Amino acid sequence: MNLLDNLQQSINSNLNRNAFCINNTFYTYKQLAEVVSNIRISIKKSCNPKETNIGLITNDDIYTYASIIALWLEGKAYIPLNPDFPTDRNLTVIKQAYINSVLDSSEKTIFTQFNSIRTLNLEDSEFNLSPNTVTKETLAYIFFTSGTTGTPKGVPITFGNLSSFIEAQWALNYKITYEDRCLQMFELTFDLSVVSYLAPLLKGACVYTIPKDEIKYSYIFELMEDHQLTYSLMVPSILHYLRPYFDEINCPSMKFSLFCGEALPLDVTEEWSKCIPNATIANVYGPTECTIYCMDYTYKRGEKNKTHNGILTIGKDMINTSTIIVDDDNNEVDIGKPGELCLSGKQLTTGYWENEEKNKKVFFYKNHEGTNTRFYRTGDLCCADEDGDVLYLGRVDFQAKIQGFRVELSEIEYHAKATLNKLNVVALAFTNNIQNTEIGLVIESNPIDTKLLFEYFNDKLPKYMIPTQIKFIESFPLNSNGKTDRNKLTQLFA
Amino acid sequence: METITIKDTIRQVLESILNHNNFEMHDELTAKDVDGWDSLSHMMIITKIEEAFNIKFKLRDLNKLKNMGSLVSVIQSKL
Repeated sequence: MNLLDNLQQSINSNLNRNAFCINNTFYTYKQLAEVVSNIRISIKKSCNPKETNIGLITNDDIYTYASIIALWLEGKAYIPLNPDFPTDRNLTVIKQAYINSVLDSSEKTIFTQFNSIRTLNLEDSEFNLSPNTVTKETLAYIFFTSGTTGTPKGVPITFGNLSSFIEAQWALNYKITYEDRCLQMFELTFDLSVVSYLAPLLKGACVYTIPKDEIKYSYIFELMEDHQLTYSLMVPSILHYLRPYFDEINCPSMKFSLFCGEALPLDVTEEWSKCIPNATIANVYGPTECTIYCMDYTYKRGEKNKTHNGILTIGKDMINTSTIIVDDDNNEVDIGKPGELCLSGKQLTTGYWENEEKNKKVFFYKNHEGTNTRFYRTGDLCCADEDGDVLYLGRVDFQAKIQGFRVELSEIEYHAKATLNKLNVVALAFTNNIQNTEIGLVIESNPIDTKLLFEYFNDKLPKYMIPTQIKFIESFPLNSNGKTDRNKLTQLFA
Repeated sequence: METITIKDTIRQVLESILNHNNFEMHDELTAKDVDGWDSLSHMMIITKIEEAFNIKFKLRDLNKLKNMGSLVSVIQSKL
């Protein structure tokens, strides 16, 4: 597999450069390679050669990152287990993925009931970065995401998927070189972490992580300023946190600033662009199912950018993905008409881990440009314009039906934001005590007078779209992926 | 302002947001030691403290707030 050969080559040609900066300590590629080699010996010693799915306790240290590379070079997949998640959830994942062995760098072993492979302070061994034979079908990782039924669902990604993603990433031309200093802000249970460490490592660049006990947004700012970061991928929520402090931020070193994982509002992006005057800003899009991200739009400074309800377009598919927008019967909709975005191509997962029922629901075959093609329904409501740029309208399931009318919650948010002078809001559908759907609005602020807001709503929206309840919260809760936790906010109305 | 007055104001802020007083205001106290003081309530606590003392933290200040002692001295430096 070229990907692993390239990784080996990159490590070998950059031995004296820094690979990681973790909690103010630098580690060179040589140090990384040594830890990788040592962990490989332990894996070989204590894993059955047939074991393919290995658990990985996700600490923020060199051993954990080296474990990923060691597993890959051994031709095995990693399944991240966050030690801060509820034990029950981790055990469900371990059981579902038939995990026997868990790599663990913690001072105290987390799961004593499994074959726990310690990765901390191993004995030095011979340098070994030669990959075992892996094929396109070999699994690289399985990430478990929350399922609607309460059981986490696994998304297996193969080396074929991952190589296709990396090929498409390079084609974007958001160029990384050995001189770059790149942010890795994500929990290792979130797949945006994969590109955040893998892309820099493939180019000999340095990866800057965030210690778990630090406040993410302010720590990111310090890294940007103190280490003059040049490359970052973040979730837009970080921008909402940083926004009150934008006038303190000036990072001319930043070359590329990418956003993914949530809708990216144009107004915040414009303000952010002044904090990073020399950077190219991009909005990338994609679900875990299609390997990290698969669509891309480059923000245009000082020019008109395409938006819908103030949200920046997600642009066009990357080179290894092909997209269509369909109605409920999987027929493609006309240009400009809303429908569900569907993805196909080499980055697409083979299907949820042992979940035929869910697979039947979201994957389907359709003749596309003369070929019978497998598509994945994203649950994202989108429309395409005449240039082929895709506009994100909202989640299909953020769409509510109120008295039989279809309501787009992002539209309500857009109008609320328009009058509330930079306050962040979330519109939610919730079921009231007589089992009717109502719309609630949560405003990220101390209680304020909402008279003007409702006057504005009355001017802009049909009656059925106007929120019936308002709550104030000083700060939106985030889920473990760093996105606004809409479920928690919905509970405010229970 | 005296340290003891500052601490008392912080204690009131914490109590009002966390709805309990199961903590002691010593200098080594960290968020981890206090039930409910997580990344979400942290934002609210910071905002309330800014209001209570009529100060504004800089982004860089936020990373210095490792424990109660450092919180008190950062506040003191701004009064």
